[in-house]
Amino acid sequence: RGSRERFAFSSAVTTSSEETSSVVKVQEHGGQCEDAQCYIAMLESVACTIFMGRKSRTDPKAKSKLGRIKTPPPVDPVEMVVLKERFTEYSLILRALRLEFKEQVLRKKYEDEVGSAAEERTKREAEEHRSLMAWNDAENLRLRQIREQRVQKETEAAELKRREAVLLRQQELEDYIKEKERQILQLQVNLSVLCNNGMQPNKEEAKDFITMDNLDERIEEALDNPKNYNFAIDREGRVVKRTAIQ
Amino acid sequence: LASFLLKKYHGGHVVIRLALGGVTNRPFYRIVAAYNKRARDGKYIEQLGSYDPLPNTHNEKLVAFNYERIKYWIGCGAHTTTPVAKLLGLAGFFPLHPMTITEAERRQKATSTEEVKTDNQDQVEL
Repeated sequence: RGSRERFAFSSAVTTSSEETSSVVKVQEHGGQCEDAQCYIAMLESVACTIFMGRKSRTDPKAKSKLGRIKTPPPVDPVEMVVLKERFTEYSLILRALRLEFKEQVLRKKYEDEVGSAAEERTKREAEEHRSLMAWNDAENLRLRQIREQRVQKETEAAELKRREAVLLRQQELEDYIKEKERQILQLQVNLSVLCNNGMQPNKEEAKDFITMDNLDERIEEALDNPKNYNFAIDREGRVVKRTAIQ
Repeated sequence: LASFLLKKYHGGHVVIRLALGGVTNRPFYRIVAAYNKRARDGKYIEQLGSYDPLPNTHNEKLVAFNYERIKYWIGCGAHTTTPVAKLLGLAGFFPLHPMTITEAERRQKATSTEEVKTDNQDQVEL
């Protein structure tokens, strides 16, 4: 009670009423109290961080509040009568104001839809809309043409590229095949060269070859003339061809 | 007339109230049209003005109102909270709130009784 009185006196000095009323309300809620005793009592009761409504449903009442009987603020009957009259008047005026504003809003809405200048406005807006849409369509057409040309060019370029790529690949394939064939030929030639190197028929040596038609004569000749390859030789190099077989 | 956009409210209504902003030891209110169930500083429909509770260098408290939009919202069926009603009454848009008159009367009586008491004390001392 003492704190409340203190605040009521301080309100007389300042010019504002909203502040004091709000401050008084805060005090009654039991919010942030600047009085030291209250603060200590709060700490004793529930140790929490300082927020509004620190206690839950099951927390017990503080010891400092045991014998407390909360009484509402005293009502002055004369003042109450005057207040009631003032409130009726106030609510009457407010109701009238509210209805008037409602009527204004409705009237505005009505005029917007079915007013004097509404039809012209709607016509004008429709015209604007149509012109804008036409302009938009023209723009779209122009852009579409440009886009189509570009796309066409791009497709042609892509087609050319593709064909060139195909040709290139074919060419490469052919080159590869040719290379391989060349290598094969080279190898074959090498092989043939290697094979035919010793058996190359010279004309001089061809005379002495034994062929199918010389065969019989040569056999008789070989049988008739037995060749003796034995010989003797000494260290001084004297050769002796006469042997015991003869 | 007022359409309930986005969130589906059941039996809610529009209010014109003060939304608190600012910093520690420096409040600042915005006069705001919002739905009843929304948070105090949460999403509002429209801002209709502001109120600075602390006096400035010329000892003035600045309040701003957008009367056109306030008229519209009240026409759409918005309620006003008591501080907003009091401010509007002081501004002249609404009639003066009875509580402002009674508070002023009480203060005047308190000052007059204090003066009388001090006068009596001076007389007693003398």
